[in-house]
Formats: sequence, structure tokens, C-alpha cells
Amino acid sequence: MLLEIENLKVHYHTRAGVVRAVDGVSLSIGEHEVFGIAGESGCGKSTLIRALMRLVPRTAKVTADRFTFRGRDLLTMPDRVFRRDMLWNEIALVPQSAMNSLNPVYRVGDQIVEAIRTHSTASRRDAESRVAALFDMVGLQPDLAARYPHQFSGGMRQRAMIAMSLALDPSLVVMDEPTTGLDVLVQERILRRLAELRTRIKSSILLITHDISVIAEMSDRIAIMYAGRLMEQAGTEAIFDEPFHPYSLGLQNAFPSIRALDRSLISIPGSPPNLINAIPGCVFAERCPFVREDCRTARPPDLEIAAGHRVACLRTADIAQIRAAAKEKATWRS
Amino acid sequence: MKAYIVQRSLLSLLTIFAVATILFILFRLLPGDPTAQVISPALDEVAQARLKEAYGLDQPMIVQYVLYLKNLVTLEWGRSFTTSEPVFDVLAYRFWNTLLLMGIGLSFSLVLGVFLGMIMAWWRNGPLDIGATIAAMVSQSAPPFITGLLLLIVLSYRLGMFPTGGMMPPGTNISGVWDVVTSAQFYHHLVLPTITVAAYYLATPMLVMRDSMLEVLGSDYIEFAQAKGLPPHKVMIRHAARNALMAVVTVSSLLLGFAIGGQVVVETVFSWPGMGLLMVEAAARHDYPVAQATFLALAVLIILLNWAADISYGWLDPRIKVGGGSHG
Ligand SMILES: Nc1ncnc2c1ncn2[C@@H]1O[C@H](COP(=O)(O)OP(=O)(O)OP(=O)(O)O)[C@@H](O)[C@H]1O
Ligand SMILES: [Mg+2]
Repeated sequence: MLLEIENLKVHYHTRAGVVRAVDGVSLSIGEHEVFGIAGESGCGKSTLIRALMRLVPRTAKVTADRFTFRGRDLLTMPDRVFRRDMLWNEIALVPQSAMNSLNPVYRVGDQIVEAIRTHSTASRRDAESRVAALFDMVGLQPDLAARYPHQFSGGMRQRAMIAMSLALDPSLVVMDEPTTGLDVLVQERILRRLAELRTRIKSSILLITHDISVIAEMSDRIAIMYAGRLMEQAGTEAIFDEPFHPYSLGLQNAFPSIRALDRSLISIPGSPPNLINAIPGCVFAERCPFVREDCRTARPPDLEIAAGHRVACLRTADIAQIRAAAKEKATWRS
Repeated sequence: MKAYIVQRSLLSLLTIFAVATILFILFRLLPGDPTAQVISPALDEVAQARLKEAYGLDQPMIVQYVLYLKNLVTLEWGRSFTTSEPVFDVLAYRFWNTLLLMGIGLSFSLVLGVFLGMIMAWWRNGPLDIGATIAAMVSQSAPPFITGLLLLIVLSYRLGMFPTGGMMPPGTNISGVWDVVTSAQFYHHLVLPTITVAAYYLATPMLVMRDSMLEVLGSDYIEFAQAKGLPPHKVMIRHAARNALMAVVTVSSLLLGFAIGGQVVVETVFSWPGMGLLMVEAAARHDYPVAQATFLALAVLIILLNWAADISYGWLDPRIKVGGGSHG
């Protein structure tokens, strides 16, 4: 296993209280695997990444039962070692805001050269020819490397960020919303490029987005995140063909384009809970049409339904009934 | 960038022209006989009349104005009423003295201010941040003559550590700028005025740098620079400070706006033989040609420094340096 996370919690200690942005997440990512995490805005996706890359502010407390990369403990690793061994050599990032993640005063190519030379002994010229190769790989003219970020369009910047993430052949590339904020045509082109790259590189990818259709196309395995917790995780086929969690079922209704085109759009009424409130039971209970009394009092454990298929729900025994009811529009009326 | 430099240069020239025009009008609005500003009243009638003709003071205003501009450009700035020396020669020597003090004081303030502001923001709310903010507010509200006098009283008169004024020991034979800057005495005389100038100017670049740095530190590209695994000092200097610097260059023109007044005060307090002191002396002796030329020279100096700030901004900001929007 590349990355193993057991019961990871990231709590922001703010003046208003403790924000439980990530609250007991467990997952693991293997070699050459694309792992997708889907979840609504604000459910803690970026916070999870920040914890992984040590970018959390000082107000955040990170705890875990297990948090390892290739067996090395990430929680106790000194900052210097983490920067040198992990960042970019092992774990690289395509940030959520590619638009603003390039420093406006340096040439795009130089910013990639900087990443390469920080982590290797490559000469400037070697690094520059590496940049040219990377640009070619993501479909950018190599001579664009001499341009400044303000001369790049959104799609070009996104490609440059993807190129930068691949610079040192990391074991894991983390992509935070790689297509959000781009217009549909550009999104389509970036996705096609990513799908093609996937077959050419040996890195694993942790793909994070609120757009479940993007994840469906790309991922080997998928986790559904809600209010700081993972509701369900399984292989892509399993998540779409036999989902167990009511939230997964609700999401499927909201994105009919993935499999069943004939079904009408049904959205889940209500909105996610405020993460500042401690929730003793299931975080989805408030919006769940299948809620039972005990859902509100005890946190549902991660049940292993099948090999690699985990669900955090108390009602998995009644799944046939629930699946049938979930197809009805009336079920989702508040 | 070329177009930008040309544009800035033209603007500076226009400003100099405007200042010269305002000076022309001002000095002719002064009470009394306007000719008295150009021709010493101490001369006898015949000489006065001859000079009047030579300067064209019997001509209509517009002709006088053209003549005035022509004399400015050809460096025919008249003679001092008191010493009869050509004004240009008097100024030439004073100009360097002012430039040295102002240049050293301003560079010192800018470099130290930028550095402190950077450190303050990086360790915000730390002891340095809080201490320096309070010190800045105190020093900014103390006018330079108070700071200067305090330094003089304590360090010069009481402790005798520094000379009480001037640029060189009295009676030193100076034959050029080079002599001055290579003499240890000069630097000994320079310490107190520089501290005074710096105390006055330091606060603005420091606080602007701090604020701008804090803003930059919150931006996505800083988080990304950290994600790349850059060591903290590289994130702080290469990514954060480099970008925050642009705000300091922008406000430095504001700083320069106060420079004439500050310079006059500091030179007066420390009897520094520069243009600021010369202006005060000339005004007190009703030596109008000298006063007018000194004021203009100071203004030109400030405009040139402003120009330099503009150019370095263009050089710092690639959006100006290379221009061009986004492509496809
Ligand atoms: N520095 C912080 N201090 C306090 N709360 C924070 C901080 N950063 C994020 N949060 C809160 O943590 C929660 C999760 O935020 P996060 O950015 O991880 O969500 P996200 O899933 O990435 O959302 P999006 O899809 O909008 O990017 C949100 O409720 C957010 O308000
Ligand atoms: Mg996010």
C-alpha cells in the first residue's frame, strides 16, 4: 500500500469553536491506482489534502490511528525530512486554484525548474529540458515555458500545474478539483488528457472533486465524503451498481447522466450540517429518508460489506427496500 | 517596457516644467518690486537699470517667461545677491551633499524597512512585530527636528560621541565629492543625520511591507510554494517578499513627497551644508535667485527619484515588463 490512513481527524480550533473538517476518515491507496473522493463543497476535501501535504494552519489539530506513506509514519516525520523526501518526490499536488497558484512574477517554466531543482541535483539545463518534455506531455508548446502566468489562459495554467506535478515522477499525484472553474470545453480537453496520461505514468492519483461524473470516468475506486466523514467507499463499478449508503443513492439521483439517462433528476433536500456542531450519530441522519432512531445516537461503524466495499450506515440489512424506495421522487421530499 | 519608460520619462519632464512654471508665478506674486527678486536692491540705480534690461524685466510677462525658461535650460541661473557667485556653482556643491545624505538615509530606511516588515509579517504578533509597530507609531509622530535635537543633546553634547553638526570638521579642505565619500570624518558626521532621516522614513516602508507581506502570505501561490517543498526561507524571500516589495515601491513616491520638508529640517538641525540648509539661508537673506534655484533643484531631485521608483516598479512587475494578456 502506498498511502494508509486510519481514523484521520483534522479539527480547526477557531474562536467560534472546533470545526471538525475531517472527522475519522480511513482509506488506503495502492500503487498505480486512481482513487476518487467525491463530496459537496465544504465537506472537508481540501482539508484532507492539506493534512496529507502538511499545509494545515497552526489552528488545526491533526490526529490519526495510522497515517503512513510506504510504511513511513507521516505524523512523526520531522518537517525537514517531510519536505525533502515526501513533497514532490513522493506526493505532488495539482491545487484547487490553478489560476492563482502560480507566482505572477516568475516565468512558468522557471517555477517548474524550481520544483525540480529543490528536490534533485539536476542542472538548470537538464531541468529546462525536463520542463519542455513535460509541457509536450500535457499538450503545451514547450516555448510557452518562458511566458509569465498572466500570459496563460485558465486551461493552459491547469495544464502547466499538471505538468509541474509530474516533474519528479511522484508516487502519488493529488488533484484537488482539477477541472473546476474551467469552461466546459476546456474541462473536457483536460479530462481527456488526464485519462491519457493515466495510462502513461506510473503514479497513483488521488482525485478530489464535487463533480461525481469526473470521478466516475477516471477512478478505480471511489469514496463518497460527507461532512468530514466517508459515507461509503468501493470500486467504481460497485459504487454505481450497488451502492449501500442512502447518501450515495441520493447522489446518483442527482447525477443521472452517469448510468441511467431515463431517470429524472432528484435532489436531496436540506443542506449539510455545520461542522462546528459535534454530531454523536450519523452526520447524514438529518437529511436521510431512511433514518432510524439509533442513527442519531451512535456513530455508524465502517462496515465491510464486500471485499474493499465499506459503508458507514446502520441500515445495510434493508438495502433491497431502500434501493427501491430511493428511486421514487416522493421518498426524497422533505 | 520601452513604451512604459518613455511614458514615465515624458511625465517626469512635464512635472519639472510645471514646477518651474509655478515657481515663476510664485516669485512674481511675492510682495514688493518684482525686479527685486532678480536684481539686488543693493546695487546703484544705473547698474539696476542695466541688469533689468539684460534680464528682460522691462519686457511683458510672457517674454519674461520664455526668457526664464531659456535661462533655466542653459543653466544661466543668475548670481547670488550676497556672494555674487554664479548660482549654479553654489548649487553644484550643495547638490551632492544633499544627494549623499538623502540617498543614504532613504536607502537605509528602505532596505531596513523592507527587511523588518518581512520579518514582522512572517512571525506576526511576535515580540518584534508588536515592538516595531509601536516604535514606528512613536517615531512617525515625532517630527524629525525633535528626534534630531534629542540625538544631538544626548549623543553629541552630553556624551560627545558625535560631532554637533556639519559634514566635515571645520576648516577641512574639500576638492570634490570623491574626497568627501572617502573620508572617515564624513561618515562620523553622517551618523546622526542618517538616524534622524531613517527614524522619520523607516516607518512607512516597514508598515507597508508588513501589510503587503501579510496579504501575499495568504495567497494561493504561497501555499503552493510550500506544497512544492521549498524551505521556509525561500518561500519567505523568493515568493512572498519579492511580491510584497511592489507595494513598497508604489508608496515610496508618497514617501518622496515628504522628502523636501524633511530634508530642509534635518539639514538645518545638523547644519548639513546641503540644498535644504541653503534654501533656508537664502530665504533669510532675501537671496531670491539662490532660493528659487535651490527649490527647483530639490524638486527636480525628488521627481527623478520618483521616476526611478516608477521604472523599478515596471521592472519588478512582469505585467508591465512584458505586457500581453492571456492566449487561447
Ligand atoms: N483554516 C480554517 N479554519 C477554520 N475552518 C476552516 C478552515 N479551512 C476550512 N475550514 C472549514 O472546514 C470545512 C471544510 O473545508 P474544505 O476547504 O476542506 O472543504 P472542501 O470540501 O474542499 O470544499 P470546496 O469544495 O468548497 O473546496 C469548511 O466548513 C470550512 O469552512
Ligand atoms: Mg476544496
